[in-house]
Amino acid sequence: MKSLVCMKQVPDTETQIKVNSQGTGIVTEGIKYIINPYDEFSVEEALRLKEKFKQGEVVILTIGPDRCTESIRTALAMGADKGIHINDESLNSADPFVVAQALAAAASQVDYNVIFCGHRAIDDDFAEAGAMLAELLQIPQVTLVTKVEVSDDKTKAIVERDVEGGKETVEVSLPCVLTSQKGLNEPRYASLPGIMKAKKKPIDKKTAADLGITAEARLESREYSMPPERKAGKKLEGMEPPDAAKELVRLLRNEAKVI
Amino acid sequence: MANLLCDERDVKFVLYEQLNIEELCESEKYSEFSRETFDMVLDAAVKLAEKEIWPTNADGDQKGVILEQGAVKVPESFHNAYRLYCEGGWSLLAVPPDMGGQGFPSVLNCAAVELFSAANQAFMMYPGLTIGAARLIEKYGTEDQLREYMDRMYSGEWAGTMCLTEPQAGSDVGALRTKAVKNPDGTYKISGGKIFISAGDHDLTENIVHMVLARVEGAPPGTRGISIFIVPKKRVENGELVDNDVICAATEKKLGIHASATCALNFGEKDNCIGYLLGAENEGMRIMFNMMNEARLAVGIQGLAQASAAYMHALRYAKERVQGPEIHALKDPTAPKVPIIYHPDVRRMLMWMKCVTEGIRALIYYAGYCEDRIHAAKSEEEAAKYQGFLDILIPICKSWSSDMGFRVTELAIQVHGGYGYCREYPVEQFMRDSKICSIYEGTNGIQALDLVGRKLAVKQGALFKSIVAETGNLLKNASKNYRLKDIVEPFAQARSQLVEVTRYFGLKSITEDFMIPVLYASPYLELFGDLAVGFMLLWQAVIADRRLEEIYNDAKADTPEKKAEVLRTNRSAAFYRGKVASAQFFSNTFLSLSKGKARAIMSGERSAIDLPEESFALF
Repeated sequence: MKSLVCMKQVPDTETQIKVNSQGTGIVTEGIKYIINPYDEFSVEEALRLKEKFKQGEVVILTIGPDRCTESIRTALAMGADKGIHINDESLNSADPFVVAQALAAAASQVDYNVIFCGHRAIDDDFAEAGAMLAELLQIPQVTLVTKVEVSDDKTKAIVERDVEGGKETVEVSLPCVLTSQKGLNEPRYASLPGIMKAKKKPIDKKTAADLGITAEARLESREYSMPPERKAGKKLEGMEPPDAAKELVRLLRNEAKVI
Repeated sequence: MANLLCDERDVKFVLYEQLNIEELCESEKYSEFSRETFDMVLDAAVKLAEKEIWPTNADGDQKGVILEQGAVKVPESFHNAYRLYCEGGWSLLAVPPDMGGQGFPSVLNCAAVELFSAANQAFMMYPGLTIGAARLIEKYGTEDQLREYMDRMYSGEWAGTMCLTEPQAGSDVGALRTKAVKNPDGTYKISGGKIFISAGDHDLTENIVHMVLARVEGAPPGTRGISIFIVPKKRVENGELVDNDVICAATEKKLGIHASATCALNFGEKDNCIGYLLGAENEGMRIMFNMMNEARLAVGIQGLAQASAAYMHALRYAKERVQGPEIHALKDPTAPKVPIIYHPDVRRMLMWMKCVTEGIRALIYYAGYCEDRIHAAKSEEEAAKYQGFLDILIPICKSWSSDMGFRVTELAIQVHGGYGYCREYPVEQFMRDSKICSIYEGTNGIQALDLVGRKLAVKQGALFKSIVAETGNLLKNASKNYRLKDIVEPFAQARSQLVEVTRYFGLKSITEDFMIPVLYASPYLELFGDLAVGFMLLWQAVIADRRLEEIYNDAKADTPEKKAEVLRTNRSAAFYRGKVASAQFFSNTFLSLSKGKARAIMSGERSAIDLPEESFALF
């Protein structure tokens, strides 16, 4: 059972994000980075599939700057077999389409039964790369996956996915792209022996040129800004209920302009 | 939620910027490691501590342990945490590779254990005691004993304890009465009772290996006649585990660490308890003493850990809790209310907690680092130097950090106000859990006697002199930087005060007034600890100041306004500014008291000794 896991490194959810003074991005200095939590579900699921079939491989595929090696090593410490690290200035903070192109190019150079993606990355929240990747590779995709059962002959999988208010069970032929959702599993912790083994596992470094692609952005980011701070509320105090109700209606109409 | 167990940035600062532990990797012993592996270990430890161990802390405190029919049950939540801890191989972190461990430097182990203990001190008693017991077997066990016990203990399959204390033999361990009678097959029949045995019984593992101090029949009285035995709860007979007649008679109801089973154990009630000698007969104390440094450092880490968690929680609370307007708008009822971190008295408390916590952290890690330098030393001379530092600093690591760490937890309650006194917030538990650290593993009074009576006397004061010399080197270096003047001056003064008091003790000890050093051993240890922590913080300030200046220069921040802007936007700059402030605050509030503290000691005030017992109070 061979799985390719597309993994992104993102700022820790606990980090207090600051926008840089030019408004072109966030302040990255001093930030702690983690594996995108949805991608962590992917890593875990791929490892479980390998364990279930008692053979195969889990390959981690990441796009990003040097610091991403850390996250790849963490996935290797969890038990993945090797990493592919695409590190190219033109791709490192590219839009979802360019990212999907790069992932597709890298994927076409390796064998896989399943490609896992997180259903979205918690930093930019696009939730697009996985779906685009499947389209570019012309293979089926199932998004928001919470359960995966691969058939013994590895030609298809029964997959449970989140839908509004419930679950949907679908059958999909392999190879395919699955995007992981919360609830899929509980990711394991990296163990000390795992960390020591991870040092010796290979990480393949690639550039855009190695993949034979040129990045043509479809998306332009104009400006970064913090969400406006919530304004203090207004309390109607010391008024008789009928007066307070009248005043409330007036404020909602004239000040808040919601009715 | 941010990591409220420890300041990870400060942990990394001590490891990489102050102690530069990457340099250890140049020695053959640690050549397998790198900054990258260290970081991965720290990240993994943070994750396990926060996500799995911390959620068991309040639960364990509320539920405590249950004793039923001679067997102890730990809180249910501990089982999963313990399984994950063992699966992660955390007990093996600093165990040598030839013993099946990972062989990481001790200093990294200090950092990992700090995190885990901050997450749940009571929980960590179980693997902590196991490691201590397994280390003894590693050092003194026969090949068979290593395979039978040590391997299973390092993997966490079996647990371990240290059984020293008896009702009449606490600090006075030589008074113990537990008996060992030699059997024809070379094993011993053990009988007697032990009390206050941490992790003495529990259901985390199927077997528990007790390291029991006992007196072989006919052995001399006092500490010279003590032997140490491996006494498993269940012994192996024909490949099967059978009951070894060890009974848990009671568990103590305690102020804190409720979920750590503190047991009264009875050995051989049915005359069927077998013990296996470790090392040779009557060597028990010597063997035990070998583990003393490690065990005492471990308690120091606990003191640090509770302080660390308490500080982080208090800091967050102070930033969130809104109460009252700013001080200069006190009389204006319409002035906006502010978070309590705006109030000077709260800030003073936070600053106190910050510098003490950071100082203890550096001191404890430094002790771990000394151990590593002993192992990685290129010459015997170098090894002896670090062994000397370690030996003299151990009682300070244990006592100063447990005493001051406790005060940090107490201040955390104060910062929280009434809420801090309530169970709803975790800080009162930190304080209760922390208190034990000044008591067990040799009370802090015993530590002070160890420092004054034993360590100062080693090689005519050579250990003390080498510490004085080391602080002198730093002082010389730091004096060159005029920006650190406010820190350096009180430090230099504290250093000479300590030298003076030490000299005074030396003189008193050879006169009939030798009771004075004994009486003032604890205040002396405090004075020594102040200097040792001041040493660490000044060392850090030298580095942090340099880094901060570099950042200012890079940002061309040459005015106070521009510097303020850098501090606001640059996390590293803010951190380094905080490090310099820790040293400055400590120098001015702790070290500046050294003259008074020294004077109090050298007053030679004898009331405490001379006063007739009847005069303390009338009953």
